[in-house]
This record gives sequence, structure tokens and C-alpha cells, in this order.
Amino acid sequence: MFPIDTRSRDCCPAMSRRGMLRAGGAGFGWLAAQALLAGESAGALATADAPYRVPARAKRVIFMFMKGGPSQVDTFDYKPKLQADDGKELPFEKPRVQFAPTGNLLGSPWKFRQYGQSGIHVSELFPHVARHVDDICFLNSCHGTNSAHGGAVLKLHTGSDTFVRPGMGAWVNYGLGTDNDNLPGFLTICPTLAHGGLNNWNSAFLPAEYQGVPLGVASRPATEARVKYMGNPRWSTAVQRRQLDFLSSLDGAAGLPADGQLDARLKSFELAFRMQAEMPGLQDLSQETPETLALYGIDEARTENFGRQCLMARRFSEAGVRFVQLTHSDGKVQWDQHGDLLAGHTEKASEVDKPIAGLLLDLKRRGLLDDTLVVWGGEFGRTPVAQGKDGRDHNPDGYTMWMAGGGVKGGQRYGATDEYGYYAVENRMHIHDVHATMLWLLGIDHLKLTYRHAGRDFRLTDVAGHVHHGVMA
Amino acid sequence: MSFLLAGLAGIGLSAAEGPAAVPATDSPEFFAAKVAPLLATHCVACHGSEKQEGGLRLDSLAGLSAGGEAGPVIVPGSAAESVLAGAVGYADEALAMPPDGKLPDEAIQALRAWIDGGAHHPAGRIETPALTPPFDPVAKRAFWSLTAPLRATPPAVKDPAHVANPIDAFVVARLDVEGIEPAAVADKATLLRRASFVLTGLPPTPDEIDAFLADESPEAWDRVIDLLLASPRYGEHQARHWLDVVRYADSNGLDENIAHGNAWRYRDWCIAAFNRDEPFDAFLRAHLAGDLLVEEGMSPARRAELLTATGFLAMGPKVLAEGDQQKLLADIIDEQIDTTGKAFMGLSLGCARCHDHKFDPVSQADYYALAGVFKSTQTMESLARIAKWHENDVASPEEQAALAAARDRLAEQKQQIDKLVAGTRAALAQAGAVPPAGAAAPAGAAAETGSATAATAEIPEEQFPDEVKGQLATLREEVKKLEGALPLLPTAMGVKEGVAEEARIAVRGSHLTLGRRVSRGVPVVLEIDRALAAPPAGSGRKELAAWLTDPRHPLTARVFVNRLWRWHFGRGIVPTTDNFGFQGEKPTNQALLDWLAVEFVESGWSVKQMHRLILRSRTWRLASDPAATATRSRAEEVDATNVLHWRGEVRRLEAESVRDATLAVSGLLDTTMGGSMLHVANRAFLFDHTSIDGTKYDSPRRSIYLPVIRNHLYDAFWLFDCTDGAVPNGNRGTSTVASQALYLLNSEFELGCAEALAKGILAAAPADASLRPTILYRRVCGRMPTENEGRLVTEAVRDLEGALAADGVAEGERALRAWTAVAQALLAGNEFLFVR
Repeated sequence: MFPIDTRSRDCCPAMSRRGMLRAGGAGFGWLAAQALLAGESAGALATADAPYRVPARAKRVIFMFMKGGPSQVDTFDYKPKLQADDGKELPFEKPRVQFAPTGNLLGSPWKFRQYGQSGIHVSELFPHVARHVDDICFLNSCHGTNSAHGGAVLKLHTGSDTFVRPGMGAWVNYGLGTDNDNLPGFLTICPTLAHGGLNNWNSAFLPAEYQGVPLGVASRPATEARVKYMGNPRWSTAVQRRQLDFLSSLDGAAGLPADGQLDARLKSFELAFRMQAEMPGLQDLSQETPETLALYGIDEARTENFGRQCLMARRFSEAGVRFVQLTHSDGKVQWDQHGDLLAGHTEKASEVDKPIAGLLLDLKRRGLLDDTLVVWGGEFGRTPVAQGKDGRDHNPDGYTMWMAGGGVKGGQRYGATDEYGYYAVENRMHIHDVHATMLWLLGIDHLKLTYRHAGRDFRLTDVAGHVHHGVMA
Repeated sequence: MSFLLAGLAGIGLSAAEGPAAVPATDSPEFFAAKVAPLLATHCVACHGSEKQEGGLRLDSLAGLSAGGEAGPVIVPGSAAESVLAGAVGYADEALAMPPDGKLPDEAIQALRAWIDGGAHHPAGRIETPALTPPFDPVAKRAFWSLTAPLRATPPAVKDPAHVANPIDAFVVARLDVEGIEPAAVADKATLLRRASFVLTGLPPTPDEIDAFLADESPEAWDRVIDLLLASPRYGEHQARHWLDVVRYADSNGLDENIAHGNAWRYRDWCIAAFNRDEPFDAFLRAHLAGDLLVEEGMSPARRAELLTATGFLAMGPKVLAEGDQQKLLADIIDEQIDTTGKAFMGLSLGCARCHDHKFDPVSQADYYALAGVFKSTQTMESLARIAKWHENDVASPEEQAALAAARDRLAEQKQQIDKLVAGTRAALAQAGAVPPAGAAAPAGAAAETGSATAATAEIPEEQFPDEVKGQLATLREEVKKLEGALPLLPTAMGVKEGVAEEARIAVRGSHLTLGRRVSRGVPVVLEIDRALAAPPAGSGRKELAAWLTDPRHPLTARVFVNRLWRWHFGRGIVPTTDNFGFQGEKPTNQALLDWLAVEFVESGWSVKQMHRLILRSRTWRLASDPAATATRSRAEEVDATNVLHWRGEVRRLEAESVRDATLAVSGLLDTTMGGSMLHVANRAFLFDHTSIDGTKYDSPRRSIYLPVIRNHLYDAFWLFDCTDGAVPNGNRGTSTVASQALYLLNSEFELGCAEALAKGILAAAPADASLRPTILYRRVCGRMPTENEGRLVTEAVRDLEGALAADGVAEGERALRAWTAVAQALLAGNEFLFVR
């Protein structure tokens, strides 16, 4: 049952060169490795002929995490029968484990209409995203196993709700290697610390170089999103430069024997210094035109915050960051409308609709959408039955995520829930399947990308996961 | 319904024979008379020829014998172990049959009686296969780590000068085979720095260095070892290693990150235990069964320690918002099994939750035998969302008495108020006062006090004389104060005995598909003499702990001495410290490991004694510079990574030591011991949805006392490969990433320490700048600077002052700032952050 790679007990056969460096007693990171391999291009490390590689459609991912669980039946999973049977009893059984008690069917308070050539129905909540339906594949049959936020968030990000496992961004970087020597390969903008926190973007047993680097936190505005310790509160660049020169002269002066790890450490300081020079420019949105800022909704209070996240995502993606995660959350559990669905979802959707549409358009016109996989979704969906009079409970049994760009066949609804949108029934996609499909689009066979830890080979998809080729163009 | 016909036809029973003729329960006739009809009526529709729910048929001998997907359903002679009896008894929510309503008691009794009577069937015997491991335990015991270690005679070596004690004999004999000569012994200053970091996690002070360098007696090294072992800093550092192994944390992490407000008691106990050299076997037993080791007449402090030790079982991360309580329980037990296996035996037992272990000789039955021990243990106080873990009361008699006294005072005060109110009312009533119209006593009050006083109770206090009102206000104020001052009795996370119960095998690991029950026990392959003798009414933890610390246990001592070796050298003799199984790496020198394991047990499990032994070896004292090796090129060719210990190892400090050493050399370290530094109350959220973590780390105390927050470990720890205690980790990695450099260059912590250090240097040499490089180097590197280094420092200071001037820094501030920048560079440098 465990996927044992019998060919090699190396942690990653494609990176034998790096593996060799690591085995040299150091275990240092990619940045240092890059420096030591000067002259070799960065991309060459992530060889396209590694045994786990398949033809890649996408080079990078932008994952938009809608924390709290957006309702599928009020957004992208149109259920006319739910509207018709509003107030009636659910004619089949509810799940064995529910988060909260629920009542009868609750029709969506929003109208749906058809968009694009595909004629896919989208609710009034997402009028801007709706214009891109022909580029989007709606995964209407997502399902998970955990009905509480914490477990579901962890499952979405790491594939496990009971064990600490590497985040999907860490796996992607482990599999593909870096595309830019001077930047981390996995950035997470304004992540939430609740419900798993750091473990959602940590590298766990994967080498530390693959861990996500957070910019800010969920409750602080995106304008404050910075990589911690980037920039010195006391020293000017000139002072720090001289300080580094002194630092690099120390080992030689002390007569320390030549040693790979000591040398790598010194180089890591130089790389930190360069990263420090590159990062602020990437985050400086003032270089963008007013038209672009408006496209992302940065000129409006309601959409400014998420708009900034989306625009940063484009800039980081352009610069070669493999995996950028955005989190739509603030001081509350954002999309978690156990009550007051109408007001809550209206507000939440209006904060992200325009920025997301702006990002899709911007990526497209720059030719980036072809090899950038955009993924949207929450940790679960919501029940088609009411909680209280005007809320919906958590629903891990059938919900919608969507993918666009990077090899995805747009203009389709993949999979389906039952006639009320409660259970995934057709082409069911477990979160493991979403991961497997995402990796496949990136040119990685999820069954073969393994890491040996504690005597066993681990995968993002553990012992499950199926690639759904129907999602792909 | 073939069996029905067979039963009736074959035995010739008929209803006409009447109720008087109930056959004996151990006869096939009983089946035909009592069991067959109820199976036919209630079960066969779903478990018969038409449908076979769960793969189970109950309409034939073959079906009853084979059982379903979850295995056999009948254990002849034991209804208690039979799934069928449990299902009809509605014992488990997950498997309650028939689903549309419980059978009448009479029917259930009949079924149980039939099984207890041997489950005799008219068509023959019900054969339930015995639980046999899918491997031959005897053969598997031949695996190196499953055979008890033997003490080999230390081998002869080519050059006895290379052997200071038996450790060296084993190491050098191996090097002799490879034709490698071990390196020279390192210089004294290097050895002291190494020993100081290895034992205490801190650098030696310049004075300690001077004293050791000046001590030329043959006992100098032994004296230093004893001094370091006697330092309270020793226990702090060793406990920090141990906390990695037992996945210590001050918060739950996982989904609901709430405070382990009392975990620190376990941590402090570990520190104390290492400092007083508690024998490791006793230390281990307390972890698993401390609560069961409490005896009459024991000192309250010892009792508290033993209870606190079981925090080991309670500290794991839990999905506290899990809606499925059965799953939550199963997950907690799984975590306990996995941690116990890894921490003490280097076995990944968790793998056998869903199926027989793929690599190690551990069957799924073995797993559920252990699961029974933990299932019979109570870890949780409540499973309702958000679930609460259990805490043991660890108050001393004094603390209990103080609380009782405080409660008495409070009760007395309340009584006084009641008396005053009642007295006043009575007096007022006698004086003819009446309550205002419409005023009603609270219904409850009237009912409680009875009709006699109901009338007076209605006189509101507003009608009391002002003097009484004043008295009441004062008294009530006092009550509030007393209530606020009630002492909170100390509690410690830990377990207690639960309801003794055998666990059932969860088919494919699903808690919804439960199969047969397994007697509590230990993995068959590791049984010593016999199966675990768990008492019928107890969990069996005490027996489990005794088995683990049996001197004949093949793993316990080996795994621990290997951890010690890892803490000393950065790599275990078995490099996979937490995996001694078939997929773990083999020992690089098994004779040495086994010798150490036997020595450990025979020396009474003394950890300090093992440290002494290792530190006195010549192997420990080898220089790390390859140039110190005569056969260097041969050595580098054969063993480039120094697995065989032909030289010392260059190692980066661990996260905590990076911080502690920086504080120490800056003169800022506060060596206060013990206590909690959490900013939130027990069980409170570390941070809410605002994602603002209020945990404070700006303390100058040792790192072991800073909170370990799962899911949001302190940057200074996380960046330097510290573990957040989510899983046991006896072998931290050492990464080198640019974010570490950013931290060392730009964090307030580093800047603050560098500034304190710079101030100290300027204060020590206020006038003569030429002395400053020496002071700096002595403090940070523990040695004098070379002439060249002195020059480099002076030039850097000069240039930095220039750059600061260009930045507009006032002249009077430049010296401090420039020295701060230089000190910071030295604190970030390799010499300071590595042990050689």
C-alpha cells in the first residue's frame, strides 16, 4: 500500500547533485546549493526527466484560500431544485457526523445566470469572476473528511488532518526546484495562524528550504505584509555591507579548516543580502499603472486588501516564485456563515470578486495564465439545509473548488453533487484528488514524488489520490 | 434459511414439545430452539442469501464461522470477545445491530448464552481462527535490534595509546580494519568549549577557560566533567533534548490551538530529574505509569512528580474540535502508541493501526493489544467540542489546607451575611414592615425557604436601615475579595486509570468497522517470557512500564544510549534515532552500541555515569580538524562523513543554544529556573482568529523556559531547525537557509545582544581602544584574537564609524554603534555558532 520507490533510497533521485551536497555533512539549503553550483542554471536542478516527472502544463501555482468555507450552492454549484424545494425536508439522510444541528432545505437567496460560451451558471455573488467562466473548470464534486475548520484546513493544505505533514507548496517546490535564486519558492501572503497555522505552510520533514515564507498575517492589512527580518531597523545598507565584509573575513583569519557547511553559511548571508535587495521592489505596487491598480480593485476600499494580495501574487509569480498562496481572512472566520448568510456572503464575495477577476485577466493578457495554475477554494462548503433560520453549517461532503489556467480545460463543470448540492455524487474529487491533479498539471506524478522519512516514503497524497484527467485541456 | 430447515429437520425438535424442554446452552439443540429463530427474524434479511451486508452471512455454519469484512464475529466460549454479542448488545455506537432497534433482552441473553456455551451448531463446530501473527516471531527475533544486547569484550587494537576506555577499543578496532588512524586529541580550550556546550548548552566563561587551562593536573578533565554535570544548567540542556523526544509543547497545536497551561510542570520535572540523575528506568516508568506508582506514605512532592510525569501521555496534539468522538479517542490512543513506540523503543508502531506493519514484525493485533492499555486509561476529561484533557491534582497538603482554610473563611463570611439579612428581615417584620405591593420573592427562594419565612423574604433590602445596608456592602465586598483570592490548586496534565477494556481491531484503521477484541499486551515479537499480564481491573500501564524497563528488553537501553550518543556527536550509532526497525539504518558499530546498552543497565541506568564514560573516551576528545589525522587522505576516502569517528565533528549549535549562548556572552542571560512563561490561562486560545500571537519571547531566561507554541513556534527556534513538538523527533536537522542570515542580521534580539556586548566592551576598556578586540574575542570566542584578527576588528570599527558618520550618526554615538555592528558580526559568525 505504501508507495516504495525501489529504484533509489535517495530522498529525491532527481536532485542527486544536491543530495550529494547535503550528504556532505551539511544539509544546507537550496540557496547555498545554488551558490556552490555557480554557473549551473537554477532550473537545471529540477530536471524535467526526473522519474516522477510527467509533461508539465503549468510551472507555478497561485492558490486563493477562502477561509471559513464558502457555500457552493450560493456561488458556483447551481441547484434549481434547491430553490424550488426551499423550506422542505431533506429527502435523504444527513451525514453521520455533523458539526451542528441543521433543519430543512434553504434555497439560495441569490439569483443565478448563465455566462460565457459555456453558459455556466454563476450567482450574483461573483459577477466579475463570472466573466471568466470559459477559462475556469469548476470542481463541483469536491469532498473531504473533516467537518471542523481545523482539521479541514490542515487536510486541504497538507493532505492530513491528524499528522503534521509538509504543505502542498513545500511539495511543489521539492518537486520542481527553484526558478529564482534570490527568492523563496513558496510565499504565503497574510496567512491565518488559526486552524493549523504554520503547519499549513511548513515543510515538516521536507528540508527547511521548501517551507513557506509568510508575509504578514491574516488580521493585518496587506500593505503591512512583509517577510519578517527583511530590512534592518538600525543599519544602512552601507553599514550592513561593511559588517558582512568583516563577517566573511573571520573564518579565514581564525584559520578554520575549509568545510562545506561553514562556507555555505557565509554564502547564505550574501544571498540574504541580495534577497533583501530584490524583495521590496517586487512588493512595490507603485510601479503599476493606475489602470492595473483599478483592475484589481486596489482603488476601492472594499477590494483594496485582497486586490493587493492578488497583484503581489502576479508579481511574485512573474519573478519565479513557484507557489504563492493568498488567504482571504481577517479577524473573523471569513466565509463561515452559520447565520446571516445573506449579509455575510455578500460582503465576503464583494471583497474578492473583482480582485480575482482582475488577476485572471492580468495573467491572461501577460501570457502568464498558460503556465500558471490558479486554484480557488475553502476548506469545505456549506450545507444546503439551514442552520438556524438563515445560516448554513459546514459541509465537507460536497463542495466546489475551481482551477483556471495552466493546462486546465476551462468552461466546464467537472463532477457534480446531488440535486440539492449536499453530497458529491459524480466524478467525486477528494482533496487528495485535487492535490494529485494539481501536481499532474505541474508535471509531477503524485505517486512517484516521495520523500523518505522515519523509515517510509511519504507523499502529499499519502496512500490515496487519483489524477482527474477530465479537468485538463 | 437453510440452517433453520437443517436445524429443525435434523434434530427433530418442534414447538410442540413446549417451553419446558429448553435444551442446554452448550448443545446444538439450544441453537435450533433459541438462536436460529432470532437470527432468522432479525438478521438474515441483511446477512443472508439475498444480501451480505459487511460481507457477513448468518444463515449457515460457514457464514457464522467466517464472519464478515471485520473478521470473525463469534469466539466460541466467549460472548465478551464476540463481535456478534457486542453488536446486538448495542455496545458500540458504530456497530449496533439490528439497526432499527435493540433486540429484547431475552434474545440477547440467549445469544450470549449460546456463545458462552461454546456456540454449538447443528451442522458442526464453529471454527474461529486464532489470531496468529503474519510472521514467525521466533525468526524475527533474530533481527539485530530485537535480540537482547550482549556485552562483548573490548577488542584489541594496533596502538593501545589510542584507547582510553572501552569505547575507544570498539571505535579504534573498527578504524584499524579500515586502515585509519584516529586524529590527535583536540586542544584544551576546544575541549572545554565542546564539553560545556554538550553538557550544559552554554559556552564556558573566560574565567572557566583560564582555570581549566591553568589546571595541569591529570584530574583536570575529570574535574571539569564533574563540575559541568553538577551545574543546574546541565539538567536544563539535557531536558531540552528529551523534550524533543517526547514532543513537548505548551500548546495543543493542530486544529484548536489552546494552551497547555500546566505542561511546564512536566518540563520542570524533567530538568530536576536529569539534574539529580534519576535512574532512567524509574524516569521511564513514571512517564507511563506515574499515577500507579504513587504509594502510601510517599512525600507529597514525590507524588506530585509521579503524577506530573504522566503528562507525557497527555501532551500530544489532538483534534480537539473533532466532531466524531470515537475517532477522537482512536486518534489520541494512536498518538500515544506511536509516541511511546518511537520515544522508548525506536519503533513506528503507529503503522500497524490500519494493517499489519509493512516492514516490522508488528501485527495489527499487536497494535490493538497496546491500544487496549491506552483505551483503559483516561486521558480526556471530556470529548465534547472543544474536548478537554484530564489534569491530575498535584497539590501539596499545605496547598490543600490553604484552600480549605480560604473556603472556610469565605463560607463564614457568607453565613454572616445570611444571618444579618435574616435577622434584619425578622426584626422588620416584627416591627410591622411589609414588602411593597407587587414585590415578589424569587420563586426559587420562596420554595426553598418554605412558607414560614416566605413572607419575610419578600422584604427587599432597600427597606433595611442604612446602617445594615452599609454593613452588608462591606461584608459583600469582603466576599468578593475572598473569592478572588481563593488559591488555585495546582494541576498537571496527566492520565488516570479508565475502565479496563480490551480494544477491538479497527478494520483498515476505521473506527467504524470494528472487528474482534484483542487481549491487552505487547507486540508478540517483543514478549519477554510471557504475554503482558494486565490486571483485569487495571489498564496494564504499570506492567507495560515494567516490561519496557526489564533489563532483558532488547530496545529500551539501546535506544536511550543511542540518543545520548546522538546528543554528544550529532549522529547516533544508529543514525535513525527513532527507528530501530527494519527500515531504520543499521548501527555503524553494533558492538559498541550493545556494550554501552549493557553498561547503562548494569550501572543502574545512571545517565550521568554514561556521560562520564563517553567524555572520558579518547574518541570524544578527538580534534575535528582533518589535518590532525596522520592518515587523513585514507580517512577521507574511506569515511568522508566521519561515521567511524576518526576525528571530531563540526556541528552548528542547536536553536536554543544559539540564543542562550548569545545571551550569555552578552552578559544578559538570566538563569532563573522553572515556572510558566505563558501569557494566557490554561486551556485558553493562544490566539484567536485575529492571528495575533501575544506570546512573549523577549525574556533573557534560558530558551527551555520559553513557550513552545505548536503551529507558531518562535522564529528564533523555527528558523534554526527546532521542533514544535508535534511529533517525537530525536534527530533534528541542521539547515542553512538565507532566512537564518536575515534573522542574525536584522532581528531585534541579535541587535540588542550585540549592543549589550558592545557596551560591556566599551565599559571594560573605556579609554584604551586597543584592548577592546581582546575583550571581544575572549567573551565571544573564548580565546585571544590573533594579531591579524585584532587588526581586522580595528579596521572594521574604523570603517563602520565612517559609514555611520555618512549616515548622519552623531559622533558621540558612533563608537557604540560601530562596536555593536562588529559584535553582531562575530555573534553571527561560524566560530561562535559552531562547536568544533
